[in-house]
Amino acid sequence: MEYYLRSALIAVGLMILQTTFVPFLSVEGFLPDLLLIWIVYFAIRRGQLDATVAGFAAGLLQDLLTMQFLGLAAFSKTIAGFAAGYFYNENNTEQTLSSYRFLLIILLCSAVHNITYFGIFLQGSEGMSIPTLMEYTIVTSLYTTAIGALPMFTFARKQGFAS
Amino acid sequence: MFQRIYDFVLLFREYVVLSGLLLISLTLLAFNDNVQMRHMRAFTTVAFGLVQEQLSIVPRYIGLRSENNRLRNTLVNLTDEVSRLREARLENIRLRRLLGLNESPLYPLTGGKVVGKNLTLLRNTLTLNLGSRDSIREQMPVIGDGGLVGVVSHVADGYSVVRILLNTDFRASAKVQRSRVDGILAWDGRSLLLNNVAKTLDVKVGDVVVTSEYSLTYPSNIRIGIVEEVQEQQGTLFKKVFILPGVDFVKLEEVFVMNYTPDRERLMLERRSPGQSRR
Repeated sequence: MEYYLRSALIAVGLMILQTTFVPFLSVEGFLPDLLLIWIVYFAIRRGQLDATVAGFAAGLLQDLLTMQFLGLAAFSKTIAGFAAGYFYNENNTEQTLSSYRFLLIILLCSAVHNITYFGIFLQGSEGMSIPTLMEYTIVTSLYTTAIGALPMFTFARKQGFAS
Repeated sequence: MFQRIYDFVLLFREYVVLSGLLLISLTLLAFNDNVQMRHMRAFTTVAFGLVQEQLSIVPRYIGLRSENNRLRNTLVNLTDEVSRLREARLENIRLRRLLGLNESPLYPLTGGKVVGKNLTLLRNTLTLNLGSRDSIREQMPVIGDGGLVGVVSHVADGYSVVRILLNTDFRASAKVQRSRVDGILAWDGRSLLLNNVAKTLDVKVGDVVVTSEYSLTYPSNIRIGIVEEVQEQQGTLFKKVFILPGVDFVKLEEVFVMNYTPDRERLMLERRSPGQSRR
């Protein structure tokens, strides 16, 4: 219970960071998604079921805070959480988090998330086309993955100290 | 039985939770009313229409007999009505000539089939197997056997989406045929209403409601339905007039799109004058 409460507080903290600090890291309008990194981390630690619920809760929180497009972040982050859950292996949790495998999982889940998110978000807009959707998906996924390297190095250092 | 269901849910709990959460997300998404969702709705309706059309080749034997009887009865009634209308038309032509009035124009109709229905939402629509290939354009009126069905809102090559009377975005200028009382037809999500009818005006239950000459989108005198109930409201200047549509949207299968475009001269003139915005 305490673990879930702590995770919820981390998610709220990351959400506040996402809406206040992260916009300053904007590159040509593209932003990394801190909540998605947290969902992938949660999936590797807790498994598919918890990650799916965490994805939904985080997405809903994002929707409620931004009030931009209610349900969209919840929808795409639920799918991302479910996808991330496939990489859960309770015997390899620490190794996964501290290796480049973590970044690959972030990249894949971010791609799944962004293709769903932007696939709906760009509907009906004049610039909607497959190349535009790909551009949004690839750039945002790569940027999120790059930011995901920070926790990966932190886990790697921790594991180095532990061994 | 319950044990089996429980075992099944337990075995596939990840998928069950995923489905449940996606369903909640989609419900939340459906509450939005922005460009994206309108685009998605139109796309989904056309996609469902395509599937339904493919499935419609399977004959519907159940209910065929009762439908046949109903159609036979309607045919008898209509044959009788046609002969009386012929007489009335001849009389009408004669009287119009006497008074020097112009004939009301007839608009060409394009018949089509309903291949998709959305009747459970606030913004209900139909999908027709007619599109731009059949010269269908947006804002064309659609009629059925019972009268006005709605207006074409989106057109693709082979399909079009119709915004029906039971849609919160639908508006039409209408009038009571007997007393010539005008009002604005709108659906509030539960009932079809004739709005802006002052308390002093003459509207009775059973009166036929038709489109009025004030409408730019619809030709005049298309039957809409009948007055089902009239409520006197306290604290307002208007009556609440409930309309029962002539069209049964649940059973509707065939419709006609009217090749009607508003009179450009009138449109331009009304747009130039301030305060003109009619449907």
